[in-house]
Amino acid sequence: MIEWLHPGLILIFGAFLIPLFKGKWRQAYLLLPPTAALITVILMFKGILGSSGSFWHIPFLHYTLILGRVDKLSLCFALIFTLSAFCMILYALKVESSMEHMASFFYVGSALGVVFAGDLFTLYIFWEIMAIASLLLVWFRKTDRARKAGFRYFMWHFFGGLCLLGGIIMYVINTGTIEFDYIGLGGMGGLASYFIFIGFILNAAVPPIHGWLPDAYPEATVTGAVFMSAFTTKSAVYILLRTFPGTDILIYIGAMMTVYPIFYAVLENNVRRVLAYSLINQVGFMLCGVGIGTPLAICGTVAHAFCHIIYKGLLFMSAGSVIQMTGKENCTDLGGLYKSMPFTTACCMIGAASISAFPGFSGFISKSMIIAEAAHLQLGIVWILLLLASAGVFHHAGVKVPYFTFFAKDSGIRTKDPPLNMCLGMGIGAFLCIFLGVYPQPLYNILPYDPIALGFMPYTGDHVVGQAQLLMFASLAFYVLIISGVYPPEQKKINLDSDWLLRIPGMRFVWFCERPLIAFANFIDRHVLRTAGAFKSSPGRAAVCEGWVDKFYHKELTSAPGVMYKGAVRLKTETGYLPWNLIYIFLSFFFFLLILLLWGVGMI
Amino acid sequence: MEPLFIFYIILGVVAYVVLCFMAKEPAPPHRNLLIVIYFSCLAVIVVAGLSTHWHIYFGWQEPIPLAFYAIYGFVACVFLIYFAKGLRLWLPKDLDYYDKKRRGRE
Repeated sequence: MIEWLHPGLILIFGAFLIPLFKGKWRQAYLLLPPTAALITVILMFKGILGSSGSFWHIPFLHYTLILGRVDKLSLCFALIFTLSAFCMILYALKVESSMEHMASFFYVGSALGVVFAGDLFTLYIFWEIMAIASLLLVWFRKTDRARKAGFRYFMWHFFGGLCLLGGIIMYVINTGTIEFDYIGLGGMGGLASYFIFIGFILNAAVPPIHGWLPDAYPEATVTGAVFMSAFTTKSAVYILLRTFPGTDILIYIGAMMTVYPIFYAVLENNVRRVLAYSLINQVGFMLCGVGIGTPLAICGTVAHAFCHIIYKGLLFMSAGSVIQMTGKENCTDLGGLYKSMPFTTACCMIGAASISAFPGFSGFISKSMIIAEAAHLQLGIVWILLLLASAGVFHHAGVKVPYFTFFAKDSGIRTKDPPLNMCLGMGIGAFLCIFLGVYPQPLYNILPYDPIALGFMPYTGDHVVGQAQLLMFASLAFYVLIISGVYPPEQKKINLDSDWLLRIPGMRFVWFCERPLIAFANFIDRHVLRTAGAFKSSPGRAAVCEGWVDKFYHKELTSAPGVMYKGAVRLKTETGYLPWNLIYIFLSFFFFLLILLLWGVGMI
Repeated sequence: MEPLFIFYIILGVVAYVVLCFMAKEPAPPHRNLLIVIYFSCLAVIVVAGLSTHWHIYFGWQEPIPLAFYAIYGFVACVFLIYFAKGLRLWLPKDLDYYDKKRRGRE
């Protein structure tokens, strides 16, 4: 009798078999691992496989790695991850490249690994696999822009991952435990907790370290963006729920995060970039819930993450269908598609109604929990900001995306709904959005606490009429502004955002390293060697040494950022293999920190 | 769920779908009908607010009449759009903005 099974590892090991199958067989096989993972999680809910406790202990140094920490919180996230992975893999069934399928399997599997991780080392390993697998999903688009955006994406996560690793090492040295549980800012962890916090909130795309999200997601492949919309940010929310619940600063970070992306979303032209900004906005609601940290707020956060993954996936799927069928992704080029793509239009509108939290759709039964709790705790400004963001999200994701894609003007494009498997993926998502909205009880039953017992009712006159008024009058504002011509027309432009940091100052830094710094280093080297050679009485030998040094340093390993930049430039094949120099640098950091750890715990 | 709530849900959905159709260009032939439907939905939801038992969370909410959410929703969106229009003065750049910067340096 098996005690417990890791659904993430089912997907990761399942990924290795994908290249063995071709054609119809592969399509059939692709559905097998996600189904198995989903069934495993359901069995855990039923108590047939371990439904609580910790499993799969592996000794490492003098610690124990825990691959399976199971409780209500991890089960809830595991269920939504496997459920959405099934829909998404169904949607992606006809993708040709088996490498892309493998990347998405690794991505989902490692996200599940993060969810079940019971210690900080396991968490870190899965965390990094997730970053690299998602990077591949960007690079498989195989365009020049995707290559560059993917590289910037990796730089952000490289930074976040090192903050996290450094934080973990310091934390382990400070506290002597690798347990992955409540950390809290300051406290036991001291400075380490701040590093860990930065590593986590970077993955949650908190402005101003959110540049990677709107930069890379719209450049990913059609199906890659669907996967990415679900796992990176939501696993960060899960981890923050574990380690930093009730951290006050998260309330304000969350509130700021809900409002900041709205303006960008209103100005943005690329459909998937609008969705990426609204993704940040929705994660803001969740972080706000994490910051409030009361049982009801935590319920609201988990429920919102659950619903969000479904409707955001649905929106990315419908946007992806449009891109797949028309080859266009800008609002200025699209419009009037509702006649030729009726099913996609309906799905997109259901997703849009859910993200705007229309009563009767899934967003409503989860988001109102967080907003109600903010009001209940008398957080006036936060409440006002969250309402503003609710109206705003209706504006950009609720109306703008479906309106400019499927209605607005006739763009002259005639096409049809996407293939059956894509329609099925969207159909399941749309069904779940409505089902959870109308009948939230099954979701409420699996949350860490019971929101009904905590005194929350989603369907009260107050909530329903209030939310309906808010949204319908927000739509009136949209109508009035668009009729009167005040609404800013879409422009074929890009908007400055924090990816600017990597693109302008970052490039200048690389230039500085490549030119003045290297010139200076050469100068020093030569003089040092010459002096050394003179002392050694054999100038000829010194010249030879100088030659070696030149050959070794100045051709191969100029400077770390220089190497990274060159590595990026050299990526000629555009298939997205990792530059070896980058891996080298990454590994050396990793080993450096590992040695620090060994030293810290007194093993060397 | 109370039947009244189902009615409100349908109202919201109708207003949402109608909005998408009536704002499109060129205007649909039965646009006037759509406008009538849309504004009656809005009117009904405001009237519904009059008979709702409101939960007043904050003291400063009280002096605002019963349609707090309606007013706030409208004002908030108008504010958002004007603010975004203001940002448009300096945020948008040409598509090749970064490429130009790079080439300029090299």
